[in-house]
Amino acid sequence: MLALTVLYDPECGLCKRAHEWLAEQSKIVELNFVPCASDEARKRYPQLDHDLTKQDLTVVSDAGAVYFGPKAWLMVLWALVRYRDWSYRLATPELLPTTKRVVSLISQNRYQIGRVAGLNR
Amino acid sequence: MTIGISTYLIYLALSIALTVWVARTLHKNGRVFLVDVFHGNEALADSVNHLLVVGFYLINFGYVSLALKLGYAVVTAEQSIEALSVKIGMVLLVLGGMHFFNLFIFSRMRRRSTRHNHPPVSPDAFTATAVHQEA
Repeated sequence: MLALTVLYDPECGLCKRAHEWLAEQSKIVELNFVPCASDEARKRYPQLDHDLTKQDLTVVSDAGAVYFGPKAWLMVLWALVRYRDWSYRLATPELLPTTKRVVSLISQNRYQIGRVAGLNR
Repeated sequence: MTIGISTYLIYLALSIALTVWVARTLHKNGRVFLVDVFHGNEALADSVNHLLVVGFYLINFGYVSLALKLGYAVVTAEQSIEALSVKIGMVLLVLGGMHFFNLFIFSRMRRRSTRHNHPPVSPDAFTATAVHQEA
């Protein structure tokens, strides 16, 4: 696997801030950012359910493997030099349920979190 | 030469010989591990191997040196043997501990390097990618 396409929500301040942070990190796997449900996304993945990608972060590998929600977050961590070990740690059977719960919570409240943190400008 | 002095000398000779033996074993057999960890980069493997052995020598000789003092007079041959057995026993235990610590480091490095390439989670689905069709 050489590249991951990250379908992110362009209307969410938290996601934009996360995007900026990710751009600064050194990567093992290349990350391409495409706004979810955009023309570009539809062109790249004609068969993907694009309404679903608006609900939560989606990552697609260059081989077409789709990772949705918490799994997409883990794949993004896995792409980073400094956090690859953490992606394995958070994906162990002991920690995966907690990871999923925390990530879903952040994801579902991303607009509120962005507003409280002053990121929605 | 008094029995006290010969006890110290025997202690030093045995400890040094044991440390050198364990260090050589580590050096000889650890290399294969390290070459594998560094994906066949033998120069890097030899360098790390050498550095590990230097650390091993420093810690062990440091311990041997610190533990030399008996703190009581050894007069008879019996006392000498007893004192030696305690001292050498301690050196052996420290060597054993260090040895297993080294093995632990080797195996951890190996595990890190081997699990590097597979994703942490399995995909939820597969989709066709238009990117490949264009290229």
